[in-house]
Amino acid sequence: MTDKPVLTLRDLSIEFPTPTGVVQAVKNLDLTIQKGRRVGFIGESGSGKTTTALAVMQMLAEPGRIAGGTIDLAGIDVLSLTEEEMRQTRLSRIAYIPQGAMNSLNPVMRIEPQMWDGIIAHEGNMDRAELKRRSDEALISVGLPVHTADLYPHELSGGMKQRVCIAMGIILNPDLIIADEPTSALDVVTQRQVMQTLKDIQKKIGSGLILIGHDMGLMAQSVDELAVLKDGELVEHGTVQQILEAPKHPYTKDLISSVPLVGGDSFLNPDRAAAAPARDSKEPLLRFENVRKNYGAVTALHPMSFTLQGDTPQIISIVGQSGSGKSTMGSIMLGFNPPSEGRVLFEGQDIQAMSQGQSLEFRKNVQAVFQDPYACFNPFYRVNHALKFPFKKFGLAESEAHTQRAMEDACAAVGLDPDLVLQRYPHQLSGGQRQRLIVARALMLSPKLLIADEPVSMVDASLRASILANIYDLKDKYGISILYITHDLATAYHVSDYVMVLFKGHVVEAGPPKEVIGAPQHPYTQLLIDSIPWPDLHRSWGDGRQDWDPAKKEAEAAKAGAVYRGDVQGFDLAKAATLG
Amino acid sequence: MGRIPRDYLINRLVTLVLTILIAATIIWIIPRLSPVDPAEIALGRMAAGAGSVANSEEILAQLRANMGIDQPLIVQYLKYISGALVFDFGLSTAAFPTPVSTLIMNALPWTLGLMILSLIITFVIGNLLGALMVWDRSPKLVKVAIPAAMVFTSIPPILSGLLLMWIFAAKLQWFPLTGAYSIFVEPGWTWTFVQSVLYHGFLPALSIVVVTFGFWALGMRGLMITVQGEDYVKLAEAKGLKPRYILYRYMIRNAILPQITAFALKIGLLIAGQVLVERIFAYNGMGKLLYDAILNQDFPVIQGVSYVIILITALSVFLVDLLYPFIDPRIRHEAN
Repeated sequence: MTDKPVLTLRDLSIEFPTPTGVVQAVKNLDLTIQKGRRVGFIGESGSGKTTTALAVMQMLAEPGRIAGGTIDLAGIDVLSLTEEEMRQTRLSRIAYIPQGAMNSLNPVMRIEPQMWDGIIAHEGNMDRAELKRRSDEALISVGLPVHTADLYPHELSGGMKQRVCIAMGIILNPDLIIADEPTSALDVVTQRQVMQTLKDIQKKIGSGLILIGHDMGLMAQSVDELAVLKDGELVEHGTVQQILEAPKHPYTKDLISSVPLVGGDSFLNPDRAAAAPARDSKEPLLRFENVRKNYGAVTALHPMSFTLQGDTPQIISIVGQSGSGKSTMGSIMLGFNPPSEGRVLFEGQDIQAMSQGQSLEFRKNVQAVFQDPYACFNPFYRVNHALKFPFKKFGLAESEAHTQRAMEDACAAVGLDPDLVLQRYPHQLSGGQRQRLIVARALMLSPKLLIADEPVSMVDASLRASILANIYDLKDKYGISILYITHDLATAYHVSDYVMVLFKGHVVEAGPPKEVIGAPQHPYTQLLIDSIPWPDLHRSWGDGRQDWDPAKKEAEAAKAGAVYRGDVQGFDLAKAATLG
Repeated sequence: MGRIPRDYLINRLVTLVLTILIAATIIWIIPRLSPVDPAEIALGRMAAGAGSVANSEEILAQLRANMGIDQPLIVQYLKYISGALVFDFGLSTAAFPTPVSTLIMNALPWTLGLMILSLIITFVIGNLLGALMVWDRSPKLVKVAIPAAMVFTSIPPILSGLLLMWIFAAKLQWFPLTGAYSIFVEPGWTWTFVQSVLYHGFLPALSIVVVTFGFWALGMRGLMITVQGEDYVKLAEAKGLKPRYILYRYMIRNAILPQITAFALKIGLLIAGQVLVERIFAYNGMGKLLYDAILNQDFPVIQGVSYVIILITALSVFLVDLLYPFIDPRIRHEAN
């Protein structure tokens, strides 16, 4: 298998000249990838993993440049190629599978011509029938039906788009495939299916594979070797076994230990001595009365009733795949989306029938943290404006000094240095910092309820734990009840008091996390848990378990009744008799 | 596939009718806010011609009755709206008693010809240039076009028109100074007439192109910069597609979409914007008709011309809306 290296990087350095000086994105990198091997590039954002891959493609973003070293692609000196030769090398020798498969296809072209143009650009015009044969073969090889070719990108799901990108990548049998976080936008079940497809196809064509990512579990289940990058340097390289079982570099150890595991050690430090401050409230905080939501003929959420009391703050997790109805639930709770049937009551008041004053009060009391920390700030205002504005708007500010103090306290509570962040513009902050600021902004208003919809899915894995700890503190220290909407079962396992598993708009399993996630009984919950990639080689995810068949499991899940496990104080879920 | 969804079509049709109705109402109201009495103007014109007018009160009343402005406003309005539906805007008060529709029908072909020709030329040149400004393989020379486009956009068309007239008509004498066709040619569908029209139309068209291509170029540049950063363009490059193919099929093809909507909106603006150009070139189009009507307080003509401008704009927006599902498949999806 290891006849000759497919990629050799020697002393590779990449730099980005900026007005404030040259940034060394990659420093003296040495790496060899053998034919047929899968190598994972792991590290935080900014560690140089994508930059290295793009350098191999000669597609560095301006003004990046290769400052030194050589890139040898199966005998070709990449850096000596002309522009036209490099163009011919792309796709035919080295294929790129992009991160944002959502936007990686031309929206105005059907899938088929987008596959054909790749072939034609390298092999010239050819018979339509031959093109069709090859594109169909590629689609079939990634598990897509042939008629996908006639669809437009917006007619495909995220997982399907990602498969199309894989099909495009392998259509010319490249020597090397570079997959840049190919599954980061997908839910666990789809992630597992797509990764399986990618591995199968890579084995079939015998190419090398670079898998870029930051999820140690995914790496453990997908690659043979790991290259750990930090600040542009290769800090550790070895087989996945060596690295997982005996990491040498402290950074690698951090990466491994920062992954929240189901059943693993908690990353939280709940201060059990200080009991959460109890609130006295006569009316339940939030109540769903037979809430149902339809989108046209599709029922996104089947009638659901629950009552969340306000006196003991709890974290209720809602987990499920994309399309399970969990985000619909979140937007119904926030009043953004009226239920098709039933009522949502906040402190006894129907949130769809509030007076202006009540509505303002509701907005103050119910805060939200959303998935995309980049989209949650107005880019024209400094951070302090974003924090100050709601604070003043809701009449909480007593004086400028008071507002300033409140902002500083809120920043400190989420582990940010107020002097460092408040005067900045959002684009000057990292995703993790922004997400913390969103939490801080919510905290300043001392809400009673926080709805956190995938709050950490877009931040680096190493930061997830600490941001979740911030959110957890809101309950623990400030007595705020939290609804945590996520597809990440491991974090739900640790932070929540109660978990509801949603499948096609139904609650299929509910109870304390130790029971629901720790020992799932419903087939769908089992499917979700099985799909989690474990950073543990003994717990195989792909090849070892050929019985893994999500379609079969889902069919089973559709028939099985809901499973209700233990209860938790302050939260009552109405138990539906059967799935309808 | 390939069909316009029914709901979408109905939605757009309702929008079309409402737009025309509301706009027609507004252009009816505006002249009536003016304190001027068109009958008095007509009388003044008569007085200026004859030296003096006897029985002026009776003549005024007669004029008002002829113009229909002696009736209650609501009657005037209903008459106007029902007339507008069949393009009957009454008689011109300045060129009494010529029907407004006749005046418009005489002017419209000239304007449409000049306008559509120059608009298409501008659209193609402007967008291509705008796209090339962003494309990283463009010749360096194209980058010079950015300031040039901005300079030309800020010149009023009347100035560029005068400049072009001075250079090409007065100095070089390559093109005629004024008129829409040679007075020695009999109008009709003959080759000599068409030649004459093209020959006369060249300078006015050029002056419109010169001042408006910058609008398209700068707009396209902004859109191209956005598209350039899209993942699908990056992937197209990673697929090793030929740069020119990426430019056309991936970049321009997507960036042009909002420009097509702008194109439809621009049609109406252009008729108005063309007023001065038509004036200085003595081109007998809608612009000149509108200009003269404003000078003469010729309400029926002002209304008629404005109505036709609105109708053309609304229709072209409607047509673009119908075309859109074919050029952007996502619209079809949303409509479903």
